[in-house]
This record gives sequence, structure tokens and C-alpha cells, in this order.
Amino acid sequence: MRLLLDLGWHWVAWSGRAVCFLWDVLACVVRGRIRWAETFRQIYEQGVHSVAIIVLTSFASGVVLALQGYMAMSRFGAKEYISHLVGLSLVRELGPVFTALIFSGKAGARITAELGAMSVNDQVLATRALGVDPIEYLIVPRMIACFLVLPILTIIAEFVGITGGYGVGVLEAGIPGAFYINQTIRAIGYVDFWGGFAKVFFFAIIIGWICCYQGYSTSGGSLGVGKYTTKAVAFSYIFIILSNTLLTKIILTWWG
Amino acid sequence: MIEVHHLYKSFNGQGVLEDVSLQVKKGEILVILGESGSGKSVFLKHLIGLLRPDSGSVSINSWDITRMTEQELLRIRKDMGYLFQEGALYDFMNVFENIAFPLREHTAFDAETIRMKVYNILKLIGLEGVEQKYPAELSGGMRKRVALARAIILDSKILFCDEPTSGLDPLRSRNISDLLHEVAKKLHCTTVVASHDIQNSLRIADRLALLQSGRIVAFGTPSEFKISSNMFVKEFII
Ligand SMILES: Nc1ncnc2c1ncn2[C@@H]1O[C@H](COP(=O)(O)OP(=O)(O)OP(=O)(O)O)[C@@H](O)[C@H]1O
Ligand SMILES: [Mg+2]
Repeated sequence: MRLLLDLGWHWVAWSGRAVCFLWDVLACVVRGRIRWAETFRQIYEQGVHSVAIIVLTSFASGVVLALQGYMAMSRFGAKEYISHLVGLSLVRELGPVFTALIFSGKAGARITAELGAMSVNDQVLATRALGVDPIEYLIVPRMIACFLVLPILTIIAEFVGITGGYGVGVLEAGIPGAFYINQTIRAIGYVDFWGGFAKVFFFAIIIGWICCYQGYSTSGGSLGVGKYTTKAVAFSYIFIILSNTLLTKIILTWWG
Repeated sequence: MIEVHHLYKSFNGQGVLEDVSLQVKKGEILVILGESGSGKSVFLKHLIGLLRPDSGSVSINSWDITRMTEQELLRIRKDMGYLFQEGALYDFMNVFENIAFPLREHTAFDAETIRMKVYNILKLIGLEGVEQKYPAELSGGMRKRVALARAIILDSKILFCDEPTSGLDPLRSRNISDLLHEVAKKLHCTTVVASHDIQNSLRIADRLALLQSGRIVAFGTPSEFKISSNMFVKEFII
């Protein structure tokens, strides 16, 4: 009982500090204290280092979706609908969620490890000693970069995934290419696209917040860096999956 | 002028500073001596507001910095230099960028002036030609000197140095101590140095304080220190 209470209190304190942290970040952004040069450097680093793995996985999932869809639908003689299946699943659900998960494992882990190493080497402390706000100098650029990079990566992932489906549809199922493209465009409505894409911005905030906060509060030497980095990735996964369930329910209820 | 009143600080119930009070006069060099683990670094971090005391106060030019918010502290730290014991250089920047960082942040100098200033200071600390290297490619002593350069490049009126000579060979230690003395006296800079390098401390200090299990057990000028009858001082100096 005592232990449970301690644990509960620990969690409350932790969440409280995390919220304060986000508040500080937002205060910085609202006051326009944004370092664009540093932000572009972060955009480049996060984007360039994640794009290859995201292209690979989304292409593979497009292919697999199409293969499975072909299997299932040819039983009903409806193989033309592969394009619907691939396009809709990617745009509504798989594209945003997969990209967010991979991004948090790649760029998110990088952010936490970087900031964590800086924390344990006194570099964050040194920033404060030099009269520079570490939130402004180290955190805000990374969070903004997250917020801008993840949507772009998602668009790329969706496009590449659909291309993978197209390959299977044309080469394996023998659907005419023009017809496939036409069907895909007709299948994906405005609501389908935005219903999925809106979630991405939310995921971006979650990843940036969790990974920056974990890195910023790292202590305990190189062991600490490892511990906080794995914690950041695990938390990102959990929160992405949970919030996705919630958001999907909300979006479906409101938007259909 | 720096005034410290009845400073207490403990970590996880273990007292590190227990009732530390002292004054540093304007333009004076004060050296805090003490064995490893006696709390010198913790004390210095209180002087610049990186750590908050459990109780007691630190005032700088009669501003109580223990009551300031972090934003206010950031503003006053622009006029202070701080050398970390481990250097704490940014490892994603090369030596030049590290030293230029305070200039770029807090002054309006153009690129050429900044370049000149950085090269001058590199010459002073005897590290010409390393400006393109990254901290990971330097030796411990070189990192320390680069960090010292970053701390003094703004010509701040207040300077805190955590073991400026540890990890340096005897000759270098002497040079760096002399450099510190020279800079501090030229700029009339209030300086607090933490050190366990007795010889150089005795040479450059205006006054010394000996920190022992969280308390100041001896305080005085170098000549007073040399003839002190205090047991700890004697042991420490021998
Ligand atoms: N962040 C911290 N958390 C817990 N304990 C700490 C922390 N920082 C310092 N201490 C403790 O405070 C004591 C004094 O540490 P400090 O670093 O000030 O010693 P020091 O005098 O600078 O020693 P050295 O000459 O080796 O640098 C040590 O016992 C250390 O364990
Ligand atoms: Mg120390």
C-alpha cells in the first residue's frame, strides 16, 4: 500500500514536471524566441536520418497489404478493389501510426540520447551558466523540427506505400495501371486523408515532448542515458498507440 | 561584491554545505581550498544560481540571487564567467565555435572581430591551431583550457573557476594560474577559484578559504595561511 502510494505520488510529480516543461517550451514559442538556423539543422538531421527506413517500411507494408488483399478479394472476384484497400488503410491508419512509431524509434531516440548525454556532461548546466536558456537553445528547435518533419515523412510514407501496392496490383494481379491510379484517387476522400493526417500533428507533439523531456531530465551518467532513452521510446510507443485509439474513436464519431 | 550567508545544502539527506558564510570583495581573487568531495563544486554552483540552497542566501552586488527566477538569473549570468570542473564544452561544436559562443550570444560584434578575439585568446592559452578540432579530439588539459577561454572571453566582471589547473602539467598549471591572475587584475574582476593546487593558489590568491566537511575552517591571506596554527590548514599545506 505504502509502495503504491509512493509510486502514485512519483507519477503525479513526474507528470507535473513534464507539463511544466511543455509549458516553458510553449511560452518560448509564443514569445517568438525561436532559433531558426538551429531548427533547420534539426529538421535536416531528423528528416534525413529517418527517411530511408520510413520509405523501406512503408513500401513493404504497401506491398504486403496488396498481396494479402489480392488473396482475399480474388475469392470474391473483386480484385479491382485492392487499390481501395491499400489506399484507405494506408491513409487512414497505417501511414500515420507506422511513421510515428518508426520516427520515435529513430529520431526520438536520437533526441533523447543527445540531450541526455548533454545533461550528464554538464552541457545543459553550462548553457544556463552562459546565460542562455537551454529550453530556447536546445529544446524548442528539436520540438519544432519534430512537428514539421513528421507530417512530411507521413506524406512520403503514404505515397511510397501506395506505390508499393500499385506494383503488386499491376504486376501480380494484372490490373491496368491507369485504372489502379484512378481508383486510388477516387477511393481516398478528403475526410479519409485528413482524418488520418490530423493525428500526425498530435503524434509529433507527443514524440517531441516525451523525448525532449526525458533527455532533458537525464541523470546518472552513461547508464542514465541508456535508461532514459529506452524509457523515452517505450513511452512514445505507448502514448502513440493509446492516443491513436482515442483519436480514431473521436474522429470517426465526429467525422465518419 | 559577493556575500554568502549561512548556506546549507544537502543531497538526499546528506549534508554537503553546513553553514558556509563568507565575503568576496570587489576585484579580489578568493581561492577555495579543500580536499576532494568537500563541496567546492557545489559551493561554486550556488554562487551562480545553478543550485538552490536549502537555506541561506547568496547576494551578488547586493542582489539576493537565491530569490531570483531562472529568467532573471539567466540575465545576470551574462555578466559572469563560469569554468566547469569537467569543462562542459559543447561536443557538437568545434573549439572555435565553443569559444565564440558567448560572443555570438551576448555581443553584437561582427564575424571578423569575433574571429580576432578567439584567435587572440587561443594564443593566450597556448592552443593555436586547434580551432577546427572537436572537444572529443582534445586531451583533458586542452579541453580545460578551451573551457577557460570560453569563460573569460566576455571579459566578465565576475569569474568562477572550478579547478582551472587540475589535469595540467606543473608548468602549464603555473602558466594558467598566472594568466588567470593577470586577467582578473587587469579587468578588476571579482574571482572565486576552487582548487586543490596549493602552490599556485598561494601565489595568485588575495585570500584563501579552506572548506572542510561543509564548513569554512580557515580564512585568510596567503601569508596568514602559511603560518596558520590550524591543524587542517597545516596538513593541507604540507
Ligand atoms: N547532484 C548531486 N547529487 C548528490 N550528491 C551530490 C551531487 N553533487 C555533489 N554531491 C555530493 O556532494 C559532495 C561534494 O561534491 P563536490 O563535487 O562539491 O566536491 P568537490 O569539493 O568539488 O570535489 P573535487 O575536488 O573532487 O571536485 C560529494 O560528496 C558528492 O557526493
Ligand atoms: Mg569539484
